[in-house]
Amino acid sequence: MVRQTRDLGSAHSGFKDWYWQRLSAVVLAVLLPAAFVLLWGVYTGALDQLALLDYLDSFVSRLLHTLLIIALMIHAYMGLKVIIEDYIHTGLRVFFIAVMLVMMSLFGMWWLALIWAWGG
Amino acid sequence: MSNMIKLEIYRYDPEKDDVPSMQSYEVPHEQKGMKLLEALNYIKWHIDGTLTFRRSCGEGVCGSDGMNINGVNGLACITPIAGLKQPIRLRPLPSMEVIRDLVVDTTHFFDQYRQIKPWLQTTSPAPEHERLQTPDERAELDGLYECIMCGCCTTSCPSWWWNGDRFMGPAVLLQADRWIKDSRDEATGERLDQLEDAFKLYRCHQIMNCMEACPKGLNPTAAINHIKRTLLNRKS
Repeated sequence: MVRQTRDLGSAHSGFKDWYWQRLSAVVLAVLLPAAFVLLWGVYTGALDQLALLDYLDSFVSRLLHTLLIIALMIHAYMGLKVIIEDYIHTGLRVFFIAVMLVMMSLFGMWWLALIWAWGG
Repeated sequence: MSNMIKLEIYRYDPEKDDVPSMQSYEVPHEQKGMKLLEALNYIKWHIDGTLTFRRSCGEGVCGSDGMNINGVNGLACITPIAGLKQPIRLRPLPSMEVIRDLVVDTTHFFDQYRQIKPWLQTTSPAPEHERLQTPDERAELDGLYECIMCGCCTTSCPSWWWNGDRFMGPAVLLQADRWIKDSRDEATGERLDQLEDAFKLYRCHQIMNCMEACPKGLNPTAAINHIKRTLLNRKS
């Protein structure tokens, strides 16, 4: 007789994680290099502090910066969640994911507050 | 003694031994093109009858003699000895429970296979003759139907090592894709429903050990990506 398999079935949930991981990766691939270009400008002396602030102060820059932070938070959350799921196999798994989510949310909100607060 | 093949083989009998050990053997290199399975047979028949391993067809069709050869999973029957560094270290397939020596417990592996219902599912009444496919539709199954379920890919997959209780593993997912792609199958939607799960399917992180290990030269990662793309097409 064929053995019956006992299984909890599909959670119908993996797709969204996978999708957002890739979507945020595309945003990061575009916006993260832009941040490094600015940094490079500072290192080479092409941008002084005021010129840098001029760039960061504009409304478009703040929007893009916000998008970057959101994408970064989503991407990092999805990636770290997968790592936790890979290596932690006890009930602590959910605890660690929750702690990570709270810490990253706080970090993201703090950074967004900085972006929108400076320059007045 | 240059004509001797040196082997070190994993020995473990859970009923007698506390821990596994490696045992050395030397086998004469009898003919050109000798395969690893022939050396194992020589040991079994002439040196040490207690050495235990699975084998059946001896030509890479049945998938019985999957094992870890010098750290890489493969089929002993189609692995030439000439290309192997000596001493050839043989271990059972990783991450499966050892029943004895090179024989592992594949129960869970085939349970997972059964979960994807690896047979043609139809709701339409059976036609008078067989269900037909065009040559193009048949060609879709190339690279999938050749899988012999030897388990070399699945047991080389770190995602399956860590989460094999839920992650289906490359072999089973390649088989799932084989039925998703089959033009005659009428349960594609249910098959996708069943796989749409963060653990069953999306635990694949494209490490690609499966592709490296497959003795038939198949690419389970590509099959898994096809399932993911099909799910994407369904949702967007």
